[in-house]
Amino acid sequence: MIVSDLDEELRDAYQEIANIAMGRAADLLARLLDNYVVLPIPKVNLLERSELNMALGSLEEFDSVSAVCQGFVGSRIAGEALLIFNDTSFQDIAELTNFAGEITPQIELELLMDIANILIGAFLKGLAEQLDVSFSQGQPVILGQHLNLLDLANRDYGNWKQALTIEIPYRLEGRGVDCDLLLLFTEDSLEVLEGKVRYLLE
Amino acid sequence: MSTTVLICDDSSFARKQVKRALPPGWQVDISFAGNGREALSAIEAGKGNILFLDLTMPEMDGFETLEQIKSRDLPTLVIVISGDIQPEAMARVKKLGALDFIKKPVDAKRLEQVLTDFGLYSG
Repeated sequence: MIVSDLDEELRDAYQEIANIAMGRAADLLARLLDNYVVLPIPKVNLLERSELNMALGSLEEFDSVSAVCQGFVGSRIAGEALLIFNDTSFQDIAELTNFAGEITPQIELELLMDIANILIGAFLKGLAEQLDVSFSQGQPVILGQHLNLLDLANRDYGNWKQALTIEIPYRLEGRGVDCDLLLLFTEDSLEVLEGKVRYLLE
Repeated sequence: MSTTVLICDDSSFARKQVKRALPPGWQVDISFAGNGREALSAIEAGKGNILFLDLTMPEMDGFETLEQIKSRDLPTLVIVISGDIQPEAMARVKKLGALDFIKKPVDAKRLEQVLTDFGLYSG
């Protein structure tokens, strides 16, 4: 199915639904770290495979990042959630979790996985509730540590040409923590997603 | 003259959802604003005796809008309706003068309860 550009009404609805799901995830993160999370406006796009790096617009091309991805599927909707951390964030995260030792790559990995579990799980739950669907989540997979963004964008994410992307750049108030939650929905999911959202628009 | 109600949210989908959640038969004049700046002008024009205010918005977000309402002493009663459900967000908006906080997606029963609690609506 070739999808034309998102119409404005649909984009607006996706953005609002993402906004609510993002708020739930941010609430859990704020409670864990005891730090206010500044909520951005989610960016919704319909992207070609070659434009994936554009979806990561809030990060700099040559920043060193670490990333986790987790697949989800259910109710004829499928996609991947990526959580991308700027590596400069770990010092602050460690402080906020009262971790006092040396921040080794292993510790970074644990922090990354903990936060990915919270943010991805809560976002998907918030999304599923609003759309009245249910998702099963796959195992989280480490895409790598200390990568640059181009490595990440050029990675193999399976065979797709076009995807709906929702990008949420979370920031912790008063801290140097940058992390991007990126949701990719496969093109096969778009018709179902659109149907669910149109139903809410009626 | 009937009460004026202003629904301020950057999303037209969200504005529609709030409008739909208002008690049926509530005799009010409803207007809309897409960001805080528009909301402030509308209140100054008398269109917002009651303001339903979102927090996460471009141009001027809900927190800044509340600050402006407070510093300009604008005549409006604000109920925040937001997806930002962090306890800190709720505490901040109450401190800035909002009457109450309703989480999104907005629930009609909860909205009616809040309006009743503050004597703004009696079914």
